[in-house]
Amino acid sequence: MSVQTSNILIPEFSTSALHLLRLPANYGANFGVKKLLTNVPVGKPKKPTFFRTHQSDEMSFMAMLLEQKETRETYLVATDIAQQISNLVRPVRLHTAIDRQNNMFLIPVPLPDESGSRNPWHESLAQAVEHAKLKWIRIAANMHIGGYDTFEAAGALPEPEWPTHNIDTLVDVSFRGKIILDIEHPVVQSLLGNV
Amino acid sequence: MTDPSYFTDGIYLVDFEFHPADRREGNPPVPVCMVVRKWPCGATQRYWKDELRTMAAAPLPAGYRALWVAYFASAEMDCFQVLGWSLPVHVLDLFAEFRCHTNGMRLANGSSLLGALLYHDLPSMGAEQKDAMRDMVLSGGPWSPAQRTAIMEYCETDVVALAHLLDAMLGTIDWPYALIRGRYMKSVSCIQMNGTPLDTEAHALLLANWGGVQDRLIAEIDSDYGVFEGRTFKTQRWEDYLMAKGIPWPRLESGRLDMSDATFRGMARTHLEVAPMRELRSALSEMRLADLQVGEDGRNRCLLSPFRARTGRNQPSNSKFIFGPSVWLRGLIRPRPGWGLAYVDWSQQEFGIAAALSGDPGMMQAYLSGDPYLAFAKQAGAVPPAATKQSHESEREQFKACVLAVQYGMGEESLAARINQPVARARQLLELHRRTYRTFWKWSDCAVDEAVLGGRLWAGFGWQIHTCNEVNDRSLRNFPMQANGAEMLRIACFLLTEAGIRVCAPVHDALLIEAPLDQLDEAVARTKFLMKEASRIVLDGFELGSDVKEIRYPERYMDKRGAVMWNKVMKLIKGPITV
Repeated sequence: MSVQTSNILIPEFSTSALHLLRLPANYGANFGVKKLLTNVPVGKPKKPTFFRTHQSDEMSFMAMLLEQKETRETYLVATDIAQQISNLVRPVRLHTAIDRQNNMFLIPVPLPDESGSRNPWHESLAQAVEHAKLKWIRIAANMHIGGYDTFEAAGALPEPEWPTHNIDTLVDVSFRGKIILDIEHPVVQSLLGNV
Repeated sequence: MTDPSYFTDGIYLVDFEFHPADRREGNPPVPVCMVVRKWPCGATQRYWKDELRTMAAAPLPAGYRALWVAYFASAEMDCFQVLGWSLPVHVLDLFAEFRCHTNGMRLANGSSLLGALLYHDLPSMGAEQKDAMRDMVLSGGPWSPAQRTAIMEYCETDVVALAHLLDAMLGTIDWPYALIRGRYMKSVSCIQMNGTPLDTEAHALLLANWGGVQDRLIAEIDSDYGVFEGRTFKTQRWEDYLMAKGIPWPRLESGRLDMSDATFRGMARTHLEVAPMRELRSALSEMRLADLQVGEDGRNRCLLSPFRARTGRNQPSNSKFIFGPSVWLRGLIRPRPGWGLAYVDWSQQEFGIAAALSGDPGMMQAYLSGDPYLAFAKQAGAVPPAATKQSHESEREQFKACVLAVQYGMGEESLAARINQPVARARQLLELHRRTYRTFWKWSDCAVDEAVLGGRLWAGFGWQIHTCNEVNDRSLRNFPMQANGAEMLRIACFLLTEAGIRVCAPVHDALLIEAPLDQLDEAVARTKFLMKEASRIVLDGFELGSDVKEIRYPERYMDKRGAVMWNKVMKLIKGPITV
């Protein structure tokens, strides 16, 4: 005695037949819902946040940034425009970072000056970012030494699960609406005292 | 088996009229008449009780190539058993199919046969007329010739209605799964007929003294709390008690204490000192001792109400079923002389189901460790790899509470109250769960997407819920665990009853079985094996273990949450004290 179901011939009502009848719990398979990358903050991680940085150089990005302190906004400035307002912009390397909640962000680390040196704040930040390529760390400003203290997580925390986005995507999302391509940009004009 | 043509020996629509023996609920049924009709066309055959008793088997084929169709088939199967007939191999229960087809929908007329007929715009007998006929049957007779004819005709109208219903529902029936549900209804009948043995002397003592014992009970139990004024529970005094004891208690949005029984039940699990008060409140407000259905042979038998819950689980009446909410009353459960009982429950069933269905490797590993709560703490890096239940008891308790909180969809504040820790700690634990079991959470998110976008969720053997009216994220996430747990229990029930094991009662994620004392060990081993097999079937090979609690005559069953209350009551009525 056998039963034909879903093109599989099975002994009727045997335990093995039951095994074959099980419906998969593959919920959502037909809808392909995926989380969209809608926000990638730029900045240093907050004091209690443990984070990792991506080990690949391809996941970092050289950029000229213009920071507007009053509005706490950061703009990405095109190279030719940056040359025209060099005193307002800062050359940085943006490092891809991720926290324990799988939120991605970009950490801007100022580049060394022409002499190859950095101030202690920038230097300690650069060292922390390097450290974070291998370990979960958090950083905290230490006003006494004029730099960042680095704290390494004591527990054996799992490696981060990096999303597949490339650095261009991250930068696009991060600076959406905040890219300065023209000297006539209102933010530049404001900083130049023209408006 | 994809269509009715498989059943070459015939498809038979059947309905019995019956009443409980000696008109006592809890006794097995006494068939009054049976009407059978061959589908799609064929003569209707009527049998009065005298004729039924002379038959050694069902009058029509009931083998592999025949199908018997009924509405709430366990009742028909009860009658088969009382008559000493072998149960049909294949049963199609249109009640189970209607429930499955419409689960989650808002039905104007419920899920009775009448409701199903109205849903399909089919002709039906009026509810009042139906009630009158049912009362006539339940009276137990004797019936005049005219009444006998009326009863037979009434029975036939249900069979005719069944034919219309089958015509209407045929296109929606998913045959392999429908027959599995029918197979379960046969086992439900076996379980209902068997029932749970009770200590009849203690039961009689309780019944005789319950009225007078309530005030003494309040005085006895409340002496530890001081919250009653007469028979009135004073919430403010309860709040004072909680403050004095430092017990955090969940609150409603209004800020008032959440006084629901569900909260009392949950808190009693983590704060044992709360348990007697919960039992007392439950006993005073919910327990109607006289409603407990006990047959003349001292066995609790009641309708298990299969498929009644949205998850597909059984939903027997709280007051009629011995495993209702008053856990202390379970002390009445006692094997008969020479017999033993075994309460076998799947170990951490919901965690195991979540692990297997989501395919989360860490979660599966934690389950297989035998102590998922400690394993979770280790995986999260909160305790060292060499930690044990003894060395890290408090951490384990917190991680256990976190696992249960996720299963119940509890928020950080409720979890904090449950573990008596700051909200920040509860938040941290829940975050650790999300980080440690990322695959599970992705799968859980997908279940919500499926429910919202697809309008339906399902379990491994076809039980489903339409989610168009469901907006509760917590219910949606919990459905796969509960519904697959229900599928697992159903499969275990029929595997066990078909193997000849005497099942007394299914209880959420457990089965109570009985056997003569010299066969109890073997029955327990077989039960554990078949329950493991049921888990393999539902979880694609993943095995869930089980725990056993044996009760050998003259011992009685006792839930630790109800022991204090049981002993207090028994002390008052000079009944049997337990330890």
